[in-house]
Amino acid sequence: MKIKVTQEKLSKALNNVSRIAIGKVTLPILNNVLIRVDNKKVSLVTTNLDMAIMDFLPVSSSEDGVVTVPAKLLAEFVSNLPKGENIEISSKDTKVDIKAGKYSSTINGTLADDFPELPEIEEKKAVVYKIGVDEFKASVGQVIIASSNDLTRPALTGVYFNTYDGKLAIAATDGYRLAEKIIIDKVESEVKAIVPSSSLQEVLRSISDDVEEVEISFNEDLVRFRLGEVEIISKLIDASYPDYQKLIPKDNEVKVTLDREELIRVTKLAALFARSVGGSIICETKTPDTFLVKSVANEFGENDSEIKTVVEKDGRVNFNSRFLIDALNSLESKEIEFEFSNRVSPTLLRNTKDKKYTHIVMPLNS
Amino acid sequence: MYDVWKNALAEIEQQISAANFSTWFQDTSLISTANGNIIIGVKNSFFVKQLRNRYLDIITTALKNNNITINTIDFEVQAKVKSKVRPREVIAGKDPIKERVKAIRNTNDMKSVLSNGLNQKYTLDNFVIGSNNDLAVSAAKSIIAAPGTRYNPFFLYGGPGLGKTHLVQAIGNELLKKDPNLKVFYTPISHFYSDFIDAIQNGKGKEFNRKFQKLDVLIIDDFQFIVNKEKSQEEFFNIFNDLFLLNKQIIVTSDRLPSQIKTVDECLASRLTWAGAFDLQLPKFEDKCAILRAKADLMGAEVEPEAIEYIAENVNTNIRDLEGEFSTILLMSEVRGLTPLELIENGSVSVNKTTKLRPTSPKQIVEKVAKYYNLSVKEMTGKSRIAHIKTARQVAMFLLSNELKLSTNKIAAEVGVKDHTTVMHGIKKIKQDLKLNFTLRDQIEEIKEKIYG
Repeated sequence: MKIKVTQEKLSKALNNVSRIAIGKVTLPILNNVLIRVDNKKVSLVTTNLDMAIMDFLPVSSSEDGVVTVPAKLLAEFVSNLPKGENIEISSKDTKVDIKAGKYSSTINGTLADDFPELPEIEEKKAVVYKIGVDEFKASVGQVIIASSNDLTRPALTGVYFNTYDGKLAIAATDGYRLAEKIIIDKVESEVKAIVPSSSLQEVLRSISDDVEEVEISFNEDLVRFRLGEVEIISKLIDASYPDYQKLIPKDNEVKVTLDREELIRVTKLAALFARSVGGSIICETKTPDTFLVKSVANEFGENDSEIKTVVEKDGRVNFNSRFLIDALNSLESKEIEFEFSNRVSPTLLRNTKDKKYTHIVMPLNS
Repeated sequence: MYDVWKNALAEIEQQISAANFSTWFQDTSLISTANGNIIIGVKNSFFVKQLRNRYLDIITTALKNNNITINTIDFEVQAKVKSKVRPREVIAGKDPIKERVKAIRNTNDMKSVLSNGLNQKYTLDNFVIGSNNDLAVSAAKSIIAAPGTRYNPFFLYGGPGLGKTHLVQAIGNELLKKDPNLKVFYTPISHFYSDFIDAIQNGKGKEFNRKFQKLDVLIIDDFQFIVNKEKSQEEFFNIFNDLFLLNKQIIVTSDRLPSQIKTVDECLASRLTWAGAFDLQLPKFEDKCAILRAKADLMGAEVEPEAIEYIAENVNTNIRDLEGEFSTILLMSEVRGLTPLELIENGSVSVNKTTKLRPTSPKQIVEKVAKYYNLSVKEMTGKSRIAHIKTARQVAMFLLSNELKLSTNKIAAEVGVKDHTTVMHGIKKIKQDLKLNFTLRDQIEEIKEKIYG
């Protein structure tokens, strides 16, 4: 095997794939990156057996062959070489030589025989969606914050891709809040699949500037994301997702429109005083024009802030300030809708114009 | 099926490296072998291809060796980590049952523990006075009126869950209510030790001593856990003496008398009971009813008198259990929407808490008493009028009556006296002596321990 490639390209690809090759698993070869050259196509592959990252590397010249090398070591070596250097990697049996101008090193690799064969998605049977990269990044970011890391409830550790009413939506919840975003308005095929949040995080990290579109393909138990030169395959979470639509409140009694930045500011102020009570803050509406955010910390004092807006009905609800700030940060518009009914049912937050994103937060018991 | 796969795995394990085995086979299972169509469950789809392409031969051989006929082998993704959560709405609203449990828990929360060790929830007002504790309570009241005078040290003992901690904490709280400037300190003996050891290790032994010498009231709980460490016991003794000489109030609780605690130095033991020892006894039926009524009032619950009587009758261990059972019933009544009595009547609750003692026989009691007093059974049940033999005989009568509830006639037969009036006299004598004679109390406790132990 032999490849010639620039330092920048190789370093970027190695950094990307080596993230998941960290020795958490029992099988040592999973710490290695597989370098395969097959008819001028060079691919770098790593896997942790929950997901795999493949980076197809554009090279100037190559000879077919395959070898595996400790991923971290190679990545760090290459990233420390001077930029603009041309790098030549060649292997004989398990010895891998790396040359770049006056720098050279030999790394002991492993035969590729033991490297796991990766599952594939049969193109014919797959359900495929395409979405603009910016929309994808923003949407996943808005939703993934609500996913849980409680491993006893596997379904909630993922982001739920589901189609309804001819739309593709993604949703996540940890039981205290829920976020949903419609990412494609019109789709033909149907899907219901839970993608592990950890895999999606890797997808977000792997998106480089030159990518324009994300292609998502599902089969029964796999999902594949194509991001330009990078391909990520992940298992799906084998569990049934709760019927979250039922949880989104439809008719709320109290509805106010608030300036998002201002609400973030007063929530942060209130949160300072709420630290000792687990972040619990109180939101109150007072007719005709006052929205109040309060917090009380017995030992430090208390905080009261007002926002002026149109209020038609008095109401009061308690929140964990962190959840509220998360929600406000993932909303985008200047003004947002803040709706609730009573002290026990969920509060709904939305952008005033664009209704594709829905965030609901459960109030705290008060 | 499970066993077949286990055997097959054992075989596979020997043929491949440990790392490969644990990576690829750990979470596998055999789902079906019907008609020779084998289905193997795997963690996720990453495993399917690997197992099929690399390990199919090994799997086939291993299964064949376990007498499984094979047509085809298939793999199926089967998440082994099944959701452990019971199905419910994801976004949980208020769970009425949990809320109620919380409310009840909150009635006896520990939030109000102060730095002086006192928990303000314990007061004399919520301590139910009955025939089982009236002596101790009147002593407590006189301490509150004038600490450091008559009952000093105040030694309180009794079984678990009878209210020792409650009573002494109440004394502390009431004293502070009267005079907030009083320095009151409550500590279980075990904490006293760990603090002392810490102090010594940090070279602050003197400060530790000084801190205690400044106190006006020292309350030591669970004295029975005193350890047999000369140095620590000496320290406690010193503090005890210093405070005592300054007429500062000392309060000690224990589950038994100091003389029965093996690790306690004799000198200390006798000083602790200098001003008498007060015990908390098991409440009688009427006391238990009173406790439950007070508790019901406190929690604002309506409970029928019959229900209270039923619970009082059936919980015979201690007050803690009594209150525990009572709370459970209140909770269930809240949840099910039935009154406590209805619950009891339809059999939803069965309360039965009785101290489990080893069953014993009259013969055993007689033997144990005789042995304790170094007498032969024949001597003790004979006609001797010598004082110590007579006492032993009377103790045996007392225990036969108290523990086995034998009739006086039967007791007369067991201990070899002429008629039941002698027995009645004997029992009465012991009961009377028990009030004043601590040695006799100790002795009877020890004999009981031997009988049941």
